[in-house]
Amino acid sequence: MDITVTRRVTTKFPLCVRQSFDEIHTVSNMATIVTSPTDTSQERPAPKPTRLYGLMAEFETPGDLMAAAEKVRDAGFRWWDCHTPFPVHGLDGAMGLKRTVLPWLVFGAGATGTLVAFLLQAYTNSWNFPMWAGVWVHGYPFLISGKPAMSLPAFIPVMFELTILFSALATVKLMFLFNGLPMLYHPLFKSNRFRRASNDRFFIVIEARDPKFLPKRTEEFLRTLGPTSVEAVED
Amino acid sequence: MGHGSTHADLSAGNIQLPAFALGFRNAAIGLAVIGLGAGAAIGYTGMFGTDAHHFWRAYLIAFLFALTPCLGGLFFVFVQHLTRAGWSVAVRRPAEALASNLRWIWILFVPFAVLWFMGKANVLWVWADMESLKANNEAEYHIVHAKEAFLNAKFFWIRACVYFGVWALLANFFVGNSVRQDETGDIALSERMQKWAGPAAILFGLTTTFAAFDWIMSISPAWFSTMFGVYFFCGCATAGFATMILITVRLRQLGTLRGIVSPEHMQDLGKLLFAFGMVFWAYIGFSQYMLIWYANVPEETGWFLARQLGGWAPLSFALLFGHFLIPFVAVMSKWQKRRALVLAAAAVWMLVFHYVDLYWLVMPEIPHDIGTFSTYAAISEKYTNEATHIGNPVNFLLAIGALATVIVGTLGTLSRIALVPKKDPRLAESIRFENM
Repeated sequence: MDITVTRRVTTKFPLCVRQSFDEIHTVSNMATIVTSPTDTSQERPAPKPTRLYGLMAEFETPGDLMAAAEKVRDAGFRWWDCHTPFPVHGLDGAMGLKRTVLPWLVFGAGATGTLVAFLLQAYTNSWNFPMWAGVWVHGYPFLISGKPAMSLPAFIPVMFELTILFSALATVKLMFLFNGLPMLYHPLFKSNRFRRASNDRFFIVIEARDPKFLPKRTEEFLRTLGPTSVEAVED
Repeated sequence: MGHGSTHADLSAGNIQLPAFALGFRNAAIGLAVIGLGAGAAIGYTGMFGTDAHHFWRAYLIAFLFALTPCLGGLFFVFVQHLTRAGWSVAVRRPAEALASNLRWIWILFVPFAVLWFMGKANVLWVWADMESLKANNEAEYHIVHAKEAFLNAKFFWIRACVYFGVWALLANFFVGNSVRQDETGDIALSERMQKWAGPAAILFGLTTTFAAFDWIMSISPAWFSTMFGVYFFCGCATAGFATMILITVRLRQLGTLRGIVSPEHMQDLGKLLFAFGMVFWAYIGFSQYMLIWYANVPEETGWFLARQLGGWAPLSFALLFGHFLIPFVAVMSKWQKRRALVLAAAAVWMLVFHYVDLYWLVMPEIPHDIGTFSTYAAISEKYTNEATHIGNPVNFLLAIGALATVIVGTLGTLSRIALVPKKDPRLAESIRFENM
């Protein structure tokens, strides 16, 4: 077998989403087999001891997932999640998710934006004292069309804009932060079944770090929820 | 969770107005008679220092207070057809019932015709008598004289007839077809309403804009603002959504619409009230203010100056806080909008401030001697005792009386038709609807 061909297959491997499980499995095995004879002199590194990340149950419909999620919620698990190809209405309630604090933080960010915009304009248009902002700067009262130096109506458009800007940036950044993004690696990516989470399958994953997690029992529990398969995912 | 349950209870008990609600209608008839009667009596006798000037303005405000929820209802109805919305079908009937009042609302405008025939229309619209305007305020006369091609009695009444005609026609079309569909279930009716929703939007936009110009803006005929029509439309939307929320909450309390109207619908009605009543209102109000404030043209600033003198300054600030800042923060959260009673309280609050807003638009008068002052301080000192007279009972009596006529009409319509468009092709979609 030609080594370049297998190389091409190996690089292609992470991209082929719709290939069947078996097909991918064979290809990746081939890759391992063919590349290894080139360096027979070297000893194979000892396989890293793997740790169980969690158990993944696969469902065919959003309805099955919802029913199962309600049961996982009622069983008292905390470290678990659902993975779906599209937003499923009502899943938040079925999972018993708590209300996020994000709105309060965004409100704070928005209010900060209003205040910053006001202070910025008041200082650069109305107030007259020196201030250290990296370097020494000086406020400068401007006379604009005969208006008083402190003219709130003129400041409002900028206050409005900075409120929106601060809120929007805070929303995106905090959303990334709370979700642990950007996340370049996740144990679930190793599962070939999980690829269909972006296509036509619905998953519940209970993590091994959950205090209620017991490998055997949790697997049995997941099987009672009517999944099409249950798979152990390693870290 | 609404998922899966598409078979809603469409039995008469759930989608018909209970008979005892008509008792409330009789109470509203009483309120209308007492409110309008007592208001007229106070106006006639001049109690509480009510002169003709104040009385007619108070009546105009009351008329607008009754008109705006109906226009808001009509706006909601055609926008749903315009966008082919599915979510709103379950809550469309209250809006249709409000809009159907537009078929008779012109009756409340008849007193102005009487006023005109008595030759006293200039207590309200000074341009109605150009000779007395020339005698009293010559500077204003010269400005208004140039506008006479538009501001003259004949054209004013032709336009008023067009507005009422268009509104009655639109209400008749949308309510009539929707009620007809209750029997036939014909999808073609929905399609026809969707087809005509676009032209309806244009007609509605033009008529409400020019009605605002004619009836409110021309009270200060020398002043003008192209944004004024939009501002008035904001008021219509505020009043319309607030009233729709109150009707829907009340219908649910009466034990109807179970399993049809959910917190999801309340949340979306709340969003509309939030968007139009608070955010859009403040946006338009401020845009109008800032342009005039910045340009500082005396011809334009007088209108706002009149609203800063004496008691009008606190009232203007009350509007800023009551119509925008306080409810904006209070109803911002999704969870507040989903609680029926919180939302109903917000709706009542917005209706009160909608009244204050109309009062602020109609009642103040630009001082005649405004041109003689050299500084702002001088004029604000002279008019420091200017009173708003918002506490005068004639205001409340007329407003409650006029609003009661709308309640009577709305309940009458709701008692004759089902409380949901029961054969609308999108009803099932609406019942299943969930926010993200």
